[in-house]
Amino acid sequence: MRSAKPRKPISYHLRKSLPFWLILPTLIVIIIVQVYPALYTIWLSMQARHATGWEYVGTQNFERLFGTGLFPESVGHTVIFLTGYALVTLTLGFVIAILLKQKVPFTGVYITLLFIPWIIADIIAGLIFRLMVTPDYGLFSGILQNPALFPPNGLSILTAARPAPWFGSFPFPPSPAMIYLILAASWRALPFITLLILAALQTVSHEVMESARIDGANLVQLTRYITIPLILPTMVVALFFLMLGGINGVGMVFSLTGGGPGTTTYVISYLLYVIGWGQLRFGRAAALALLIAAVNWLLILSVLRITRINDRSR
Amino acid sequence: MTKKFYLNRRIWKRRLVGLALLVITVISIFPIATTILVSFKQQADITRKPPVIFPCDTPEQKFDIKACRWSVEGYQRVFAPKPDEGSLFGFKFTGNLLRIYIPNTLMYAFSTAFFVTLLASFSGFAFSRYHFRGHNALMAAIYAVTGVPLLTNILALYQMSITLRKNVGFFDDRMFLVFVYLGFFLPISVWIAKGFFDTIPRELEESALLAGCSTLGALFRITMPLALPGLISVFLLTFVNVWNEFIVAYLLVTKNEYKPAMFGLYDFLSQNIINLQVLAAACIIIAAPIVILFLFARKIFFKAMVEGAVKG
Amino acid sequence: MKRNFRSLFIILVMAGLISVLFACASPAPTKTTTTTETQVKDFVTWFQYDEKNDDPASDERVGNAYLRKTIPEFNADFSGKWNWVNVPKAWDKMTAELVAAVIAGGDVPDMVELGGQQTITYINNNALMDITDWVKAQSWYADFEPGAIKACTGPDGKIYCVPTAERPALVYVWSGRYPNGFPTTPEQFLVEAERLKSEGFYAWTYFGSTAYGGSGAYRMVWSLISSYGGKYDDGQGNMLLNIPENVAAITFLRETVAKGYQPETVFAGGFVEEDAFKDASAGAIPTGLFGYRYINPLTAPDGTKFDKGNETDMIDAIAAGEVIMRPMFAPEGNIPGCNLDIQGYGIPVGAKNPEASHDYINWIMSDMTRTIEYVIGPGAGFPTLVSAQSNPAMQTPFYQQAAIAINASQCSNWAGTLERPAEASELIMNAVYKLIKEDPTMDIATELQKAQEEYNANN
Repeated sequence: MRSAKPRKPISYHLRKSLPFWLILPTLIVIIIVQVYPALYTIWLSMQARHATGWEYVGTQNFERLFGTGLFPESVGHTVIFLTGYALVTLTLGFVIAILLKQKVPFTGVYITLLFIPWIIADIIAGLIFRLMVTPDYGLFSGILQNPALFPPNGLSILTAARPAPWFGSFPFPPSPAMIYLILAASWRALPFITLLILAALQTVSHEVMESARIDGANLVQLTRYITIPLILPTMVVALFFLMLGGINGVGMVFSLTGGGPGTTTYVISYLLYVIGWGQLRFGRAAALALLIAAVNWLLILSVLRITRINDRSR
Repeated sequence: MTKKFYLNRRIWKRRLVGLALLVITVISIFPIATTILVSFKQQADITRKPPVIFPCDTPEQKFDIKACRWSVEGYQRVFAPKPDEGSLFGFKFTGNLLRIYIPNTLMYAFSTAFFVTLLASFSGFAFSRYHFRGHNALMAAIYAVTGVPLLTNILALYQMSITLRKNVGFFDDRMFLVFVYLGFFLPISVWIAKGFFDTIPRELEESALLAGCSTLGALFRITMPLALPGLISVFLLTFVNVWNEFIVAYLLVTKNEYKPAMFGLYDFLSQNIINLQVLAAACIIIAAPIVILFLFARKIFFKAMVEGAVKG
Repeated sequence: MKRNFRSLFIILVMAGLISVLFACASPAPTKTTTTTETQVKDFVTWFQYDEKNDDPASDERVGNAYLRKTIPEFNADFSGKWNWVNVPKAWDKMTAELVAAVIAGGDVPDMVELGGQQTITYINNNALMDITDWVKAQSWYADFEPGAIKACTGPDGKIYCVPTAERPALVYVWSGRYPNGFPTTPEQFLVEAERLKSEGFYAWTYFGSTAYGGSGAYRMVWSLISSYGGKYDDGQGNMLLNIPENVAAITFLRETVAKGYQPETVFAGGFVEEDAFKDASAGAIPTGLFGYRYINPLTAPDGTKFDKGNETDMIDAIAAGEVIMRPMFAPEGNIPGCNLDIQGYGIPVGAKNPEASHDYINWIMSDMTRTIEYVIGPGAGFPTLVSAQSNPAMQTPFYQQAAIAINASQCSNWAGTLERPAEASELIMNAVYKLIKEDPTMDIATELQKAQEEYNANN
């Protein structure tokens, strides 16, 4: 305390600017690796490549993008993919979390094993799922391609044609490959979602459940009126995370289907890859990237808003 | 009577739950199990039509445990062991995966995770303890900036790496890759770290300050040690993310010597993916370390995942 | 608990630091070696082969072995001048990487091996040096087959690459599955295919998937379409798909698909379709001449095995008369068509030592044994030099069979005047796939017109 007095101005100054110095390195890194490239992408979206260099073309990249047949098709596929992905993952995640909460013997072992898929890289997960259904040689191709089980010609997931769409050109019902892609993606995301829901379930107090049960509520009523409302915010956050991951993840499509058969699993992120790094149309790819970014920002803002509401209610 | 029935019902319920969990667990690790199975088959059994699940059939019998033709052909081709008198066991592994790619991945993952943890703990602390102008906006911006798809950002980064290589003497492709990863995984880590600092009561620091500690002293002596478990989970999460990352390395790495394992896997994909056993073996070898790490540090992972998502 | 965490953290930090040190320390020695030996310059090349990969079962073993043998030979012949450093690149990534490097002004090699539509993509992105004057001054220039040098010529009439091997497309046929010979007309093919189907075999297998940027468009599909007299462009750089010849070819293909004359793997990508030919469950496979490098081991219809598991299997099967090579069948009065793929060398814009590439190309082209060694090895085709075509090495049963197929066909490059082959192949193959596999009721002309308009809208 004796030395506190002369040191005070420096210390005070340091304390005031300390947060700035603490955050600065992070900001520098993020500006270089994220902000500058994002600005570059915006610039790129208005350029086209010619033999001699870049040329400003205004909104032409966007117009051309909308003119392609694959863009609307990929948007349709993305909608189907996200819906299926979110539906499967949230439902199964909820069920598994409820089961895990019962604390039966070996729950610890189950949790550990159930979570292994989350740790597997998407590119490897895609390969694993591809290995299982490679026509003629995959472990399950023998069963799936058996005409007796899947009339009339057996089912080859990686090559089966898509069913005729019900609503105009909207790709519903999805092709077998799309369903398989959804299952594979859900397989990988499921542990994370289960964990989120499980964490939320732990906050549902045992006393409330017990007293409701004594009042004569059955399991369905308990779930409907107590559990679901309490974990709903978490479910919504989980939904947004799934959408964010689903829109941007390209690794699994890359290694599982490569967009095929035909164009049935072209989702928007894979289209971005193909336009950019397959066809080397960087300007048009940047235009598409900005469209995806707009959707991402919408989702991110929603997540931030929801979590803030959550925080206030706590 | 009724009490006994109730008890019975409870037991039955628990058994049913247990059974359901068992079934779900088996289904969910099934794809991995089949991959392990495939990795131990030999080429002749891989290209059988129709495929056999176990390579254990004989002309007489459908399944004969003694006739199983397990093989390590896949692993052999990945490791490519060569006789070598100088080494310990009389041979050494010459496969690129073990010799180059996995060490690279280890290096990328360790360095990235280390710097991410360091920087995220600094800014996480600052965001948690100080409320300055634009605090919330900055937090939101750090997160929102990740919204631009990286596939086109990579072009800018690629250009940047070329400019740097020309003008900076000590520039190294690997350092640049680590730097890029740092930028990709920092935003979410800052959020997670902030969440952990929020859980540490301020009163502890305040009493340390009263006791004569400087702010930095309080940070390093009181807060950091308390936040350590959280920071370790940030470290591990980043480590796994870098380990599993493919597309950035695929597009940025230009030399074979600098490839990480996930990109090295591409060697085995090659043009003809009918060598399923080799591909499966490579997948297993690359995924195994991270799965083992996960099995030992499960709780730490869970912490980061929940923290990052719910509070972040 | 806390102490445990602390020690774990310390270990992790240490490991992190060590790895960073390792990252910063290890590049240093490589830099010093390049600066001290200033007189020996690096000759950097990009191949899809890796001389360090000696896996005998690798798909690229032929090219790998070729580089492993010739790199020391080249370095010995040019010791004190050049040091050949090869950078292996994944075959489906090299194009993007080179173009990106040229756009960004990054490190490019002194020489790339190129082939097929890569050449057009490079030329249109200004990625290759104009080497017209140098090529024309070389002794071997007069020896070129005219068609070959045309494939290396840009729309501006300048020469951008040196063709080394011609890789025409043809059909590998199991003679045992076609005892009456491989059909020469589509009608005959349908008859034979029906017979094979009743025997439990597939008439053929081919690359029919949309994978790899629609590369299927210039494999079997192009052979068939050009045999019907069809084409992809109008000769002015516009896409022209909706013509009666193309519609007829796709109608035929659609019929064969509906009748199941091919295995399902045809549409799966990943080249699994080749396996149906390997075990002779499919009677024929239309592919490039280079296909023999990948299609092995083989089991003939009579059970004879060719199972060395390398490129000699197909050559042996051909010598034994089990496999023959034939042109694609064509409607009465048409000459069979095929895709002419040129393998060659180009010098990227921005190459540091183009003279090294000149030395290398001369080293290959002016020595007959080296030319033949390359052509038979990674070139996997016919020599582009007329004088090399009469070489005894070209008189093997394999090349005699190939000559039968080629002499009966009229080969041309599929892209014609199309300037954006990557985009074109994708559009074409997606349309063809839709028409033959996905929706056999779709109107062919409408779908082709749609693809064509989409491409032309971007001209």
